[in-house]
Amino acid sequence: MFRSVCRISPRIASSAYRAIMGRPVVAKTLAQRFYSANVSKDQVSQRVVDVIKAFDKNSPNIANKQISSDTQFHKDLGLDSLDTVELLVAIEEEFDIEIPDKVADDLRSVGETVDYIASNPDAN
Amino acid sequence: MPGVTAPTRRQVLSLYKQFIRNSNQFNNYNFREYFLSKTRNTFRENMNQEDPKVLVNLFKEAKNELGVLKRQSVISQMYTFDRLVVEPLQGRRN
Repeated sequence: MFRSVCRISPRIASSAYRAIMGRPVVAKTLAQRFYSANVSKDQVSQRVVDVIKAFDKNSPNIANKQISSDTQFHKDLGLDSLDTVELLVAIEEEFDIEIPDKVADDLRSVGETVDYIASNPDAN
Repeated sequence: MPGVTAPTRRQVLSLYKQFIRNSNQFNNYNFREYFLSKTRNTFRENMNQEDPKVLVNLFKEAKNELGVLKRQSVISQMYTFDRLVVEPLQGRRN
């Protein structure tokens, strides 16, 4: 009984081996899916804009402003440094990430923020 | 006091961020909104403060308060609270 199993098993093993190794392309795409950021840049910028529009506690007229990737937090939206920190916290919570202080200091525009989130593999 | 250096801009902003983050964690609407507005008001009140001695004291005080805030927000998460009428049904994850 065991002998028959032993006789069959190499055949199964080799066919399984072929099934796995014969399609390296599939394995590669799977790996890419796991390691690349799982949100597209368009989605990111749309969600960032939504968060900004919803952020009207401190500056009530922010919802009416036109927001593009060139929009600057300070110059165009009239947010001071404390408001910007608060907005970034709202964005962090939206994407489930934590932006380090060093990076957060340099984020001055919507486009820069979107770029950072799109390049962050933890964002979702 | 010799050798007192006022906290840097980045330190203050980082402290502010931690206050906002931890205040947001409160499950109870009233506590959450209270700490958010208290944080905003306190930081804005001292926005133009330039005396390094006062700044050092404020910074120290705020750090102590942050400790309290952190503890309380963790405790707040151990309880569930009914949503108030003023709270939106969607938008917040918890």
